[in-house]
Amino acid sequence: MTRTWVFAVAIAGSFAATAAGAHHSFAAFFDPTKSVTVKGTVTAFAFTNPHGLIAIDVPKPGGAVEHWRAETNAPVILERRGWARDTLKAGDVVTLRGWASRDGKPYIRLVQANRADGSVIGVPFDSSDK
Amino acid sequence: MRASLAAIAAAGLAFAVPAAPPAAHPDLSGFWGPMRQQHPVDAALMAKLPPNTAVLDDSGVAEFPQGEYGGLKLKPAALAEARKWKPEDEMTVARTCAAPSIVYAIQGPFPFEVYQTPQVIVFRYEYFDQVRIIFTDGRPHLPANAPHTKVGDSIGHWEGDELVVDTTHLAPATITNNGLNHSAGLHMVERYKLSPDRKRLMATEWFEDPAVLDNNGARYIQWTAQPGNHVAGYDCDPSFALNYQQGK
Repeated sequence: MTRTWVFAVAIAGSFAATAAGAHHSFAAFFDPTKSVTVKGTVTAFAFTNPHGLIAIDVPKPGGAVEHWRAETNAPVILERRGWARDTLKAGDVVTLRGWASRDGKPYIRLVQANRADGSVIGVPFDSSDK
Repeated sequence: MRASLAAIAAAGLAFAVPAAPPAAHPDLSGFWGPMRQQHPVDAALMAKLPPNTAVLDDSGVAEFPQGEYGGLKLKPAALAEARKWKPEDEMTVARTCAAPSIVYAIQGPFPFEVYQTPQVIVFRYEYFDQVRIIFTDGRPHLPANAPHTKVGDSIGHWEGDELVVDTTHLAPATITNNGLNHSAGLHMVERYKLSPDRKRLMATEWFEDPAVLDNNGARYIQWTAQPGNHVAGYDCDPSFALNYQQGK
């Protein structure tokens, strides 16, 4: 009898604590070794499946604005981590830290969100899932 | 006359002696939430997996990266197809809310509910709002030319304390969420059983697909009982894909 256990590369480290079974493959889209942090103003917050999404405008020197998006876990997972559909609204200033999109787009997978006063929103996604 | 009396006596006996109650099966009913840890596995369940089976360790939150298929041996045509796959292909309005089949879907980190009767058992999944009706009334599978769907045609029976579910008629869909798709000929067998304290539901998912694979595949999956919880609607929003596409 041959039964082979092959361990998913994705299991290693904090990645396993956060990949949410996305319909698109987390492992193929994001690089868990590259962390990106952006600060800006929320323009939209979608509390929907297959993933939640935060859109923010990030001011750059010279008056330019970059439009970043942070993909979150599915709402059912967000709720378990203390989020709600009204957690963010347009105009809120936030700092978002996440894993970089492998293709270099201004698009991250959210790990942690902080409000303007520094408070952490919900339970960060690299913590143990309770 | 003697025969008639015997028949009457037999009929009377039938009324006098209640029919034996159906064998009591474990009650799997309730809400089952995903578990972060899939280890340790239940050795007795694993021992029942057929030979030549690769056990994919991607249950729950883990996922294989591009090009990794967890020990499955792909036929050349299937491998060529899988290698054409690009992650961004999935991030389209047309694709992002296309449900996977239960071959991939049941192992994800989402909950499901079980409704159990002697004749049918209903699995209601949160992931993509999928619902399975598992017939345990002894009926056979649908005719071979019946429509194939993402949840397929499932019939079940009990082997001791284990619910054994046999599924066919699955529409082609992903196996590992990274380009490897199964065919319409995939055949899946699941075994479910409760932990001794009834707080966990443990299962193996085994599948064969000779048109795509030279070996067989399996996963071990377990969930935790969460009384009082309920499955939420999934209601997938395809406009999600636009946010990725619009990124520059």
